[in-house]
Amino acid sequence: MTESPVLRLEGVAFTHPGGSGVSGLDLEIAPGEAVALIGPNGAGKSTLLMGVLGMVTLTAGRMTVASSEADAATEASTAAAGPRRTHSQDGMIGFLPQAAELDPDFPISLEQVVMQGRYRRLGFLRWPGRADREAVRRALETVGLGDLARRRFGELSGGQRQRGLLARALASEPRLLLLDEPFNGLDQQNRDALIDTVRGLKARGVAVLISTHDLELAKLVCDRVVLVNGTQLAFGPVADVLTLDNVQECFDGVEVELDEHTLVVPGHEGH
Amino acid sequence: MASRSNSTSTRSWFPATRDIDAERGILARDRAWHPVGEWRTMSLVDALFGAFTVPFMARALVVMLVLAVVAGIVGVLVNLRGLEFISDGLTHAVFPGLAIGLAVGGTAGLLPGAAIAAMTAAVVLTWLDRAGIASDAAIAIVLTATFSVGVIVVSRGDDYAGELEALLFGRVLTIPPAEVLPLVGVSAVALAAVAVTMKQQLFRAFDARGSRAAGDSASWLDLVLNGAVALVVVAAASTIGTLLVLALLIVPGAVARLATQRLWLLFPVAALFASVAAWLGLAVGFAGSVGAGIDLPAGSTIVAVFVAGYALVLLGRWIADRLGHPRATESGTPPVTASLAATVGEGR
Repeated sequence: MTESPVLRLEGVAFTHPGGSGVSGLDLEIAPGEAVALIGPNGAGKSTLLMGVLGMVTLTAGRMTVASSEADAATEASTAAAGPRRTHSQDGMIGFLPQAAELDPDFPISLEQVVMQGRYRRLGFLRWPGRADREAVRRALETVGLGDLARRRFGELSGGQRQRGLLARALASEPRLLLLDEPFNGLDQQNRDALIDTVRGLKARGVAVLISTHDLELAKLVCDRVVLVNGTQLAFGPVADVLTLDNVQECFDGVEVELDEHTLVVPGHEGH
Repeated sequence: MASRSNSTSTRSWFPATRDIDAERGILARDRAWHPVGEWRTMSLVDALFGAFTVPFMARALVVMLVLAVVAGIVGVLVNLRGLEFISDGLTHAVFPGLAIGLAVGGTAGLLPGAAIAAMTAAVVLTWLDRAGIASDAAIAIVLTATFSVGVIVVSRGDDYAGELEALLFGRVLTIPPAEVLPLVGVSAVALAAVAVTMKQQLFRAFDARGSRAAGDSASWLDLVLNGAVALVVVAAASTIGTLLVLALLIVPGAVARLATQRLWLLFPVAALFASVAAWLGLAVGFAGSVGAGIDLPAGSTIVAVFVAGYALVLLGRWIADRLGHPRATESGTPPVTASLAATVGEGR
């Protein structure tokens, strides 16, 4: 990894106003690399993603997103100064929320959702032009939903919605893409489509951080893994980190969460 | 006003204000021009168009149409964001502003008073909401308190009942010509605020977290939208009154949601519905009061037409759902969307 990382966390802690959060984060993601963020429910996976987006306060350490930098001291001063500037202000970070959070009755078409990915570039006064429509079309082609562009978002299947949101993140042409549990409740076809898309993104040099329960997925598309449970337990190449011991420590022995995948973690095969 | 106590059939059609005698004069002249019998058998054309040749009716129509378009468009966002409660709060918060404005500067003080109160309330409500400090109960208590302050202020005046009625139920027919431009101005500011932030408002309405992740400030967007709602309330307070303005903000947006599922059609549908309903409301009130001698208060008549229109669209929606739309399934569009689209004249 000779290129400078797109995201680097050094001794970082993100803390919610209530005091909960995630700490001890030391990791980096290079351009074209995918990192799996693995941990049980409530381990702080979402908090980490929100923290990178600037939506949860950085309370310790130093975070570098591409060239822009934030440390605990500057965070405190900007927070005191008023509404907080997030690091994705310039459209550098794409974010894929969980589709299940969105109201299926909202009257909006798939292409209109994807166009939201362009809004940051457009700002307040400009309206989408030809280049934006082209970017939306390409993003929809990439996730294989070109035919459904005019469908209402709420009428799509769960997997199609998830891919639609991925297209929105792609349309913003990010350098760092954050995926929050993208594979929850997906059928095989949508799962494969999503995996292909992530691979395509890596090939184009996008850095990807995927929060997931799915250890199988981590093996398939991710280069490195970060294990968290309130604090960072391990970070490194997939084969080194996903050992049975590590996974059991991370999940406190709650194997129910893991489905059958606990049986196929790479470290386990060697035992 | 001694004349108010022996109330005539035009009492609530002409809400008590300082201009009422002048407006009565206009009507008296009008009656003189037309034989009574002709009014009694007011034709549909007379009610829908002729009525608005009378200067105060023309003024009422202009103000109501401007308000309807702006309230319709802002109302769509209120609907999509589920801001009905905060809108209700703003209508209450504006009341003491109106009362104090009236006490200080007469009718000319209404608009500035309401504007100050509304913008203050918009800032406070946005902050309470964003900071997660206030429960709904706390907001409700504060707002009832402001409302009672308004009533106390009004009660110091000499025409307590009349003033209160005008503030609560409006005085759309007796808007002085000099106030038309300020009302249009306030509405235009509200429209501009929403137009500039429209893309981001819709993004936030659809996906609050995604919008923040994209770098939009939730607080500023909320402040702009609440401010726009507040300005609509200000403009509407002088016309249909603080109690009835909620209908103008809520009903057109709800109608648009029933009529179409296409995002950019919601706004014209809501604005068109509100305009037609406002026009019909004024016409019905005029025909009822002047033509048929049935005393109809203008503001309430307009709101009644709004609600009746909503009921009609609801019925239309129900029928369209039942009938389905055979052509739509072929083209891949779901039956409900397509058939409803047809009823609002949406092109394929």
